[in-house]
Amino acid sequence: MRISINTREEVFAAVLLIPCLLFVAVFAFYPVLYSVWLSMHRIILSLPALGRKFIGLGNYVELFKDEIALHSLANTFLFVIISTLFEVLFGLVIALVIHRHFRGRGLVRAAVLVPWAIPTVVSSQMWRFIFNDKYGLVNFLFYGSDVTHYRAWLADPFFAFSAIVIADVWKTSSFAALLILAGLQAIPNELYEAARIDGANAWHQFRRITLPLLRPVLLIALIFRTMDAFRVFDLVFVMTQGGPADSTNVLQFYGYKKMFAEGLMGYGSTISVLVFVITFVVALLYIRVIGSGLMQGKV
Amino acid sequence: MNNMRLSTTMRMLKYLPLILIMFLIALPGCKERKESDRITIRFVSWKPNQPEVWKEILGIFEKENPDIRVIREIGPHSSTAFHDLLTQKLKNKSRDVDVFFMDVIWPPEFAAAGWALPLDGMFPQSERRKFLDGTIIANTYKNRIYGVPLFIDSGMLFYRKDLLDEYGFQPPITWNEMVKQAGEIVKKEKQGGSDIYGFSGQFKQYEGLVCNMMEYILSNGGRIIKLKTGKSGLTEKPALDAVRFVRDRIIGKIAPEGVLTYQEPESLDLFIQGKAVFLRSWPYAWTISNDPEKSRIAGKVGIAKLPHFKGGKSYSALGGWQLGISSYSNNIKAAWRFVRFLTSNRIQKLYAMKAGKAPTRKSLYNDPGILNMNPHFAYMKDVFISAYPRPVSPLYPSISNILQRYFSKAVSDPNSDIEKEAASASREIDRIIALTK
Repeated sequence: MRISINTREEVFAAVLLIPCLLFVAVFAFYPVLYSVWLSMHRIILSLPALGRKFIGLGNYVELFKDEIALHSLANTFLFVIISTLFEVLFGLVIALVIHRHFRGRGLVRAAVLVPWAIPTVVSSQMWRFIFNDKYGLVNFLFYGSDVTHYRAWLADPFFAFSAIVIADVWKTSSFAALLILAGLQAIPNELYEAARIDGANAWHQFRRITLPLLRPVLLIALIFRTMDAFRVFDLVFVMTQGGPADSTNVLQFYGYKKMFAEGLMGYGSTISVLVFVITFVVALLYIRVIGSGLMQGKV
Repeated sequence: MNNMRLSTTMRMLKYLPLILIMFLIALPGCKERKESDRITIRFVSWKPNQPEVWKEILGIFEKENPDIRVIREIGPHSSTAFHDLLTQKLKNKSRDVDVFFMDVIWPPEFAAAGWALPLDGMFPQSERRKFLDGTIIANTYKNRIYGVPLFIDSGMLFYRKDLLDEYGFQPPITWNEMVKQAGEIVKKEKQGGSDIYGFSGQFKQYEGLVCNMMEYILSNGGRIIKLKTGKSGLTEKPALDAVRFVRDRIIGKIAPEGVLTYQEPESLDLFIQGKAVFLRSWPYAWTISNDPEKSRIAGKVGIAKLPHFKGGKSYSALGGWQLGISSYSNNIKAAWRFVRFLTSNRIQKLYAMKAGKAPTRKSLYNDPGILNMNPHFAYMKDVFISAYPRPVSPLYPSISNILQRYFSKAVSDPNSDIEKEAASASREIDRIIALTK
């Protein structure tokens, strides 16, 4: 029996895909499905006598009655909305700036990426110092050497929350900028030339050419940032541990506490699954509502 | 021909990464095991403050026990982070753990989860009697013992001896006295142009907050968990009053608002910079605040029992570390020899003299060598004996998280509704306790 070259290549391609599929199955599908399975059990590590009791959706019912969980969910949403908004906005501004030709552009472009390159744990520690009540930079900027007026920013629920947002915006605006810059570079220069001949000013060019053509990239930046922001953990872990007064307690940190500190494997998994579902739904929504055009190839 | 061979090589090269990966996967499987008649035990420890002392101690052990090799695995310094690492290993029934450190609040959890081995056979009553009572109680769960205490900690009041002398004060007996003294000293010092606060402590939302707040509540005659009923005592008047006192008279008043972000190191920094009259901390602060290289107030520090409220008595939160043996260990006998060695008289003495850690064996508090190096131990023995454990429960981590949240909410907002927050925290604590019944 002769196998055509095409079929042979297809079989070969399929064989080559197996390791990759295995990898995804082991490292992506299995953990997610296992979390879902765990979330339907009551498992308390320090009370092994209770065993692994299957309770169906019991944990989910409890989750929606758990005031602290709902509070941290609200915190998370607030964090996501505010930080994503600013990140994409600043990202756009930065991208527009570094897209222009000027002396030392290469240097500036590299510098813009620095925050993104620093591990979050390190930058969180840095921001913790910046907001310090005794020697922090923020205090110095506001009050100079008048130490008697120095404030404990992270001791105030409102400012502590703002501090986390600021740290996140600082770190990830450059990521958004990078994505948007790539989008800017893909816009053909002729469009601007034609517009200029037609007498369009800079604002018109931005409104009628840049923004519409950037839409797919902006969408991608939004999706990436929203999903990432939902999973915020390290900033809270390093800067505030959820305090003061639970004002910076976010869902992922709450889940971590339940799972690793308190040993509630079932309930902790329930929180992880919730985060997973939310990010998944958000991604779907973005693509359906804003990006319907993008998926069909017409931008 | 030549060309063909080259392209074959090139094709092979394409698969090189794949081959490398497979090789890497196979590698651990064929790792050579060294033949040796020495028993290896693995000791999971936090990152010590005095690594050189630990090196010396382990050196002595290996010299005296040539048949045992100790591999030390060093985890994070913070108790909470160390807990997460250690329990992760024990959860997975790891064989790579023989001996481990336990914080004073963990034995019930480790016992109930089956992670810590009961030591009753090796650690008999007669031997236990030689240790401070509180430390043995902390290691006992359902009448069995799960750890051997190595050193003890308890909350203490540090004060600026020079300033109290200057203004003619004795160390405060009650919290009100402390607030009054602090207020007066700060006022006068500020007129002299010196920038100083009255008090420093640990009020960030974390485990230390529970210790600090517990001391106020107990010293007002309140309880976190009522002894008789085993239920939350947070909604009772003494407990509510104590919390209100901290909110209204301490935070943002004699203590800077920043204490709401302080753990031990930050609170100690303020004190050793000479910027606080009083400090609530653990005994280790004594050595550091008297070290002229680290502290601006070396030699000007006094140490006293924590104050109490009128009509109450002084209570300190009990801290300290124990050694436990993993239930999944293959080398229980060797592990026990190691634990017995570390908690022996002479090693505790060495540890007390070189690292300033307070021993758990009663007799060492009369040891002239130790008292010479740590004169405050003689006086602190009282405090250690009366130190009070935090709620004993296998679900302590859950209880602690509820308490941390409640205390942080109650003291960080001057307009907080303490009764309401206390009621909701009580409900949750009672729900958790009910699970263990």
